[in-house]
Amino acid sequence: MSEMIIAAYGVEVELGDTPVLRDVGLVAAAGEVVAVVGENGVGKSTLLRCLAGLRPPLRGRIEVLGGPPVDAAGFWERVALVADEPAWYPGLSVKEHLELMRAVHRDARLTVGEALDTFELRGRADLSPLTLSTGQRQRLSLAMALLRPSRLLLLDEPERGLDTAFRARLAAILRGYAGDGGTVVMATHDLRLATATGARLITLEAAS
Amino acid sequence: MSWSDRYAMVFGAALAVALLGRPLVATVRGLATGVDPARLGAALALVMVAYAGCLALARLLGPVVLPAADAAWLVLSPLPRRSVLGRAVAALLVIAVAGGTVLGLAALSAFGAPDDLVLRLVAALVLGVGASAGGMAAAVLAQASGAWDSWLKVAITGIVLMAVLVAVLGGGVARQALTAVAGAPAGLAVSAAGLVAAGAAVLLRRAWAALDRIPARRILSSSVRSGRVISAAVILDPGALTWAAEDDHWRGRVPGSRRWPRFAVLGGWGRAVAPAWQEWRRARRRPGRLAALAGSAALPALAAQAAGGLSALSIGLLLGGALTAAVVFVTGARRDGDNPALARLLAVDGRALMAARALLPALTAGVWSSLALAGLAVAGVLPGGPWWPLGPALAPALAAAALRMAGRPPVDHAQPVIETPAGALPTGPVIWALTGVDLALLGCLPTLAALTDPAASPATSVVVQAVVGGGVLAAFLLRGGRRPAASGE
Repeated sequence: MSEMIIAAYGVEVELGDTPVLRDVGLVAAAGEVVAVVGENGVGKSTLLRCLAGLRPPLRGRIEVLGGPPVDAAGFWERVALVADEPAWYPGLSVKEHLELMRAVHRDARLTVGEALDTFELRGRADLSPLTLSTGQRQRLSLAMALLRPSRLLLLDEPERGLDTAFRARLAAILRGYAGDGGTVVMATHDLRLATATGARLITLEAAS
Repeated sequence: MSWSDRYAMVFGAALAVALLGRPLVATVRGLATGVDPARLGAALALVMVAYAGCLALARLLGPVVLPAADAAWLVLSPLPRRSVLGRAVAALLVIAVAGGTVLGLAALSAFGAPDDLVLRLVAALVLGVGASAGGMAAAVLAQASGAWDSWLKVAITGIVLMAVLVAVLGGGVARQALTAVAGAPAGLAVSAAGLVAAGAAVLLRRAWAALDRIPARRILSSSVRSGRVISAAVILDPGALTWAAEDDHWRGRVPGSRRWPRFAVLGGWGRAVAPAWQEWRRARRRPGRLAALAGSAALPALAAQAAGGLSALSIGLLLGGALTAAVVFVTGARRDGDNPALARLLAVDGRALMAARALLPALTAGVWSSLALAGLAVAGVLPGGPWWPLGPALAPALAAAALRMAGRPPVDHAQPVIETPAGALPTGPVIWALTGVDLALLGCLPTLAALTDPAASPATSVVVQAVVGGGVLAAFLLRGGRRPAASGE
């Protein structure tokens, strides 16, 4: 039996007095891809933030990698999150952001050259991320998350800004990550991407 | 403009004259003295640096800008460009006249007016307004043409270099020459002012002709930049300004790529030093900023010379400049504070990373304040010495203050507004502005005390300052706890 990576039961979250998540459960095992789908505003991103330890639930129990998720360095060494707002350090090129990630993490999954090729950033390697298009920036975020080692990958709408061809490539990359024993939980609106990764679908519905 | 707007404008002007008229007249009468040769060079250099700063600001902001809606619709319409830009140009003229008046009065206070006060006052005002209006016209021409932009940059650099020369030589070999200029007959001053005014008129005419040729994209980009400035001022979020300037600098540039050092020799600390290396690399890629910082270390000495001794202004410039030298090198910490996404991917212990990030601001603040203190000692306003060791002793406290500033959240406008006799005081912006400055003041208290009442030997102050500075940084890092670098949530 595969190791359980995420176990969340009865998760409830309210924003102000508005219920966002009500009695939501999610389990994910090692090597599994889980896609959380649903309409805008049903709480997909909120659920991901709960799993990342960035928003404590009002009620319910969440365990990630055998313990409650916490916004601390020890947790992030094992969990990589690509959320909706990418960030860049001023003065560094695309390639240097990948170099930095590799300098910090031992046992990186990819070399910088492999990451540039896999995420089709070779031609933009020496530019500042500020000059990239939305899709290219998303590719850089994903490249940094997938270059470093992790056991759990949390992705909030990873398809944002990506063209159709690269979405197919991303599906293959995520399948490869899961094949190496990693777990992927992604919130997505792209059912084709979810299907292509072989993801188990979890559909959220409005809490109220 | 409605009648009520006109009434408010006239009433405001009348009130300003009533309130400021008397002190202004008293100030001008106070200028009717001979020149102080010891202060002349420094005072003149300060006026020149201020003028160069105004030119640089005009060039940075536009200077021709429109509200966002006008920029988006009218500039791209077939309407005559001059009529579209007319109000903006009128506003620039008003700003130039006001700035020139201040500049002229400052120049007069530097040169003094041993005789013919009225004639010298008129000459100074014509000189100031002429230089200011001419400079503004040159900035408009620079907005319209790349060649003029290059010339303006050369002119600004030239003025700064001249200011340095005047400051350095004004106290020595050039003192007599400057005193002779100050003592020249009033008629000669009027002639010089007339020449400057004629030059300004030529530049204004060319700028007016060039208004039709300013490329729309330049007006649009300047308007967007100024719009950011205004919106940042309106919502009281000055932090947004520095990010806008930083992003503007890097957008479209090719920083290039160099291999990232592994820092393996540092063991576990290497993981924290690697992200902090970003700031060193960025500093190396902005040599102009480093040069400007190094040059600005002379300002406290200039202010002290102009005032004829160590003043509150020169001490303020010393500590403010040293803090600035630290603050410009904490962009990595600021980025992680604003958006911790990257810090979470790096997964480095927050305290270790903060300690690694303190090194560069501590170095820059220490070197800058050492240079500034050495300048004050050379200017002869500090007894005995050496005073420069206070710089390295100050550095840890200033680095801690800069990192505290980098981590402050946006202004909290939900904080209460306190009614005071001087008007309403919104505490949110005040708390925001004081966050970081509080640590700098606390950590620099021994230096403040030493400079307020300078002793012949500052050795004791240096030791006390080093202990207090190190203590402030240690307490700041310890209080940060073992929070992740991604502590922005």
